[in-house]
Amino acid sequence: MKDFLYQAPESIKDAISIYQQFQSSAVIMAGATDIIIRMRDKLISPECVIDIKRIKALYGIEFSESKGLLIGACSTLNEIAENEYVKRFYPFLAQAAESVGSKQLRNRATCAGNIVNASPLADTATPLYVCGAVIEAEGSEGKREIPIDKFITFVRKVDLKPCEIVTGIRVPHIPGIEGEFFKISRRHEVDLSTVCGTVAKTGGEYRIALGAVAPTPVRLKKTEALLSGRKLTASLIAEAAELAKSEISPIDDVRASRQYRLDMSALIVRRGLERFAS
Amino acid sequence: MKYKVSFFVNEEPVELYVPANMTLLYVLRDMLNLTGAKDGCSAGECGACTVIMDGKPVNGCLVLAPELDGKHITTVEGLSKNGKLSPLQEAFIAHAALQCGFCTPGFLMTATALLDEDPHPTREQIMKGISGNLCRCTGYKSIIEAIEDVASHYEGGKRI
Repeated sequence: MKDFLYQAPESIKDAISIYQQFQSSAVIMAGATDIIIRMRDKLISPECVIDIKRIKALYGIEFSESKGLLIGACSTLNEIAENEYVKRFYPFLAQAAESVGSKQLRNRATCAGNIVNASPLADTATPLYVCGAVIEAEGSEGKREIPIDKFITFVRKVDLKPCEIVTGIRVPHIPGIEGEFFKISRRHEVDLSTVCGTVAKTGGEYRIALGAVAPTPVRLKKTEALLSGRKLTASLIAEAAELAKSEISPIDDVRASRQYRLDMSALIVRRGLERFAS
Repeated sequence: MKYKVSFFVNEEPVELYVPANMTLLYVLRDMLNLTGAKDGCSAGECGACTVIMDGKPVNGCLVLAPELDGKHITTVEGLSKNGKLSPLQEAFIAHAALQCGFCTPGFLMTATALLDEDPHPTREQIMKGISGNLCRCTGYKSIIEAIEDVASHYEGGKRI
């Protein structure tokens, strides 16, 4: 790991001003679980690492019916997975948070980091996609809110302006939403998703998002439209699972083939919907 | 550049000047000569470097040295008190829950944190709890049994 300047500001304002000083040669660090590995593997060699964990304003998980859930940028995946509001109102997000890495890793890793990393297989992304979550960012020009599907623009690319910092994630309250997170991986623990996804239902509408099947996580809008307001029969579920495959563009890689990912995507959609049919 | 950090290791205060590009694991191993925590994968996958930081198990390989200021770290060297092994360490010996021993300090720290949080976990909770630690020798059975043994006979370090 190349040497760097370590800075641990205690306010968002100070963090932004350090960021402005170093610009793109600085990197923001929260849980550190990805940053340290990327520095060690020399994928990144920042001049300055800005550790935001000493900023008290970035902690906490709050919920209200009007504002929904607010997850601070430094809240860890274990805190999210164990939070009573998350478990009650967003159970699929709790499942996803708990599916990342190991317990040790989740005591450090954050949901905000998982999203800013913008890996197509980020486990916490699809629950946030189905809820229409919003990323809260702050820079020298003030605060900004970016819908998650606009925030993640490509593999490891996000819509952050220079020197802008993610301060939290807001997830709207969706009364009565039910759903499940699915993770298909080679082993159950400490593995990256081969395919992951969330299938949810609210009223007569369905919301489906899949990960690791395209350059970004994707909402399956056509499949959702097909299902809208209809009674789930075996043939409709089969039709939806087939249509889902047309909305994704998986690749062959070390973890699986394109065909396997297509098949598993259909499986996730089918299993997710069967839960609501019975 | 070096960073001054004041923290606690096994309840002893420590003050060090550390480089930014060093991890907690190497602060322990190279600067403090506490070689219990091991470097297995350097990527948060094997758990051999597990230590307890502010009450929670973390991968020592994924914490930067300058982050340590104000922290409380417990390593495997801190489990025995006055020369007496902890009940969990005794149980690992009694159940032969190790072969080569490389992963053992990590398992002991993960299991210590697990039992601190819940003194009586079920077998399933134990298996889930240690899933971030790899062992290539034992097949895990003896490790799970050792933890179960302590879970059914101890509370807060005392035999019940």
